[in-house]
Amino acid sequence: MPLLEVEGITLRFGGVTALSGVSFTVEPGELFAIIGPNGAGKTSIFNCLNGVYRPAEGRIALAGQSLMGVGATQTAKLGIARTFQNLGLFSHLTVLENILLGRHHLMTTGFLAGAIWWGRARREELAQRRHCEDIIELLELEPYRFSPVSLLPYGVRKRVEVARAVAMDPRLLLLDEPAAGMNLEESEDMARYIREINEELQVAMILVEHDMHMVMDLAHRVMAMDFGKVLAIGLPDEVRTNPAVIEAYLGAGAA
Amino acid sequence: MKLRLPNTRLTTEYVQDTALFRSWTARTGIALCALAWLVAPLVLPEYWATVLVYAGIAAIGALGLNLLTGFTGQVSLGHAAFYGIGAYSAAVFAERFGLPFPFWLIAAAAVGGMVGGLTGPFALRLRGNYLVIVSLGLLVLGQHVFENWTSVTGGLTGRTVRAPVVLGPFNAGSLVLFGTRLTRSQGYLYFVWAVVTVLALAARNIVRTRPGRALQAIRDRDLAAEVIGVSQVHYKVGAFVVSSGYAACAGAIYASYARFVSPLDFSLFLSIQFTAMIVVGGIGTIHGSILGALFLTLLPRAIESVSGSLPFVSQDGSGAGLTVQSLNQAMFGLLIICFLLFEPLGIAEVWRRIARYFKAWPFTY
Repeated sequence: MPLLEVEGITLRFGGVTALSGVSFTVEPGELFAIIGPNGAGKTSIFNCLNGVYRPAEGRIALAGQSLMGVGATQTAKLGIARTFQNLGLFSHLTVLENILLGRHHLMTTGFLAGAIWWGRARREELAQRRHCEDIIELLELEPYRFSPVSLLPYGVRKRVEVARAVAMDPRLLLLDEPAAGMNLEESEDMARYIREINEELQVAMILVEHDMHMVMDLAHRVMAMDFGKVLAIGLPDEVRTNPAVIEAYLGAGAA
Repeated sequence: MKLRLPNTRLTTEYVQDTALFRSWTARTGIALCALAWLVAPLVLPEYWATVLVYAGIAAIGALGLNLLTGFTGQVSLGHAAFYGIGAYSAAVFAERFGLPFPFWLIAAAAVGGMVGGLTGPFALRLRGNYLVIVSLGLLVLGQHVFENWTSVTGGLTGRTVRAPVVLGPFNAGSLVLFGTRLTRSQGYLYFVWAVVTVLALAARNIVRTRPGRALQAIRDRDLAAEVIGVSQVHYKVGAFVVSSGYAACAGAIYASYARFVSPLDFSLFLSIQFTAMIVVGGIGTIHGSILGALFLTLLPRAIESVSGSLPFVSQDGSGAGLTVQSLNQAMFGLLIICFLLFEPLGIAEVWRRIARYFKAWPFTY
């Protein structure tokens, strides 16, 4: 059974149709990439998957459980984690606190237990702190544990956001342009982190990225989109040579 | 030459990361504060003891407001109303229902927290200036109730309150220490600052654990908070409950100490003062709330005490120049302007800068 099933979702904003009849599936452990020109609807798909937008038509299911009408907070609990195209970090908090926030839905301390500290809250904090250290190690964030995110360079922040998403123990990780704005070396590092997370932690991923080398090298399957419609789904090489995809990227007649 | 050891030890355990006071300077500071708490009531003149009692009460309110505004990013001008609710609740619970000491205080805080929680949902739909206006509306509504529910509040003329702080042998109103009977202000000075300490620690613990991180996440980026599983409904309402609970607790202690309350005590000016305290003290810091409350309560009294020797200031307004009161008001306004312009992060930031300087000493950075 596929981990994620998306069937014919359509999303409209007034007269604009952002997505029309988009269908695809993601297998457990698969690294699935979505490509397409600006405005193709890639981020809109993410917003539908994690409950920020509600598609007008269609069906979304995670491991057989419907995600339609499920709010953003709830999808996090069901196992969908996400990073944002232009960063969704909590800039006044430290790297460690940001990553600990990824563990929020796996923790139980409330206001009262937190205020008392001794007992449950302390135990839980220490256990989660230990767990976060593994993630810090995985993404090589050791030098920045206690730095406020607002003081960090962009490339590191992108990594912190991936770390926070990994901390959520997701079943499906949505990465929205993890390498955007990075230099060559940084995107190579990011590609390595993504592969490690995918292979070592066996997390299924949907990757939205404009860096074609990264997409073609990493992805198991690729979906190409334009104007809210699916152009092609298949192995990276199949999609790369698909005439409709080439036309969308390079213009009519290029194929 | 002796090697100068750094201020903090290297951490080798996660437990050390969670220590509240890590450097020896911080620990010394806390020890000095504890010593001051023990000694100050015995050596201070009655007048200054009274002033410090009010400063402690203000600190509790400021702590609450800072949890809401500094840590959750929700601005409120309604805190005077919650403070008032706490004061009247204390009167009702202690007098009409005859609850003994810790219970009327807890009950008053709970009532304030519940009413605060009811206003939480407004914050789900509104933010920034709009929320300020709504909270202002709540304050006006509160004022109306305070003035007209005469059976409870005594109306405009106010009411007396008998809510004694008596717990076993401890009676804040007439404390006996080493065979000497302390004055009411001295006893309350011990009591109020003990409450400040407990509530400040509780607030500090909240902000360093799961619920506090959630509040700060909502402040920094509410959509991203929602997406990682932090429920805005839960934590915004929670912030209002806790914050107004603190304000109500402050109000209850105020009523117990002052023994008389009227709606005039809970005006918009009090809300503005709370806001000024956290701005001057340091938005989003726990110790800043206390420093701000101390600073803004002590400053007017300090101006009063030196005004006799200031030119152009007369005590009663009969002579030429300013009265003490108008000088105070002008200083209050000027101070807030200066802090917003030159030190928007407040006294806490000044403190941090000095600490950092000495941490790196003798190097400049």
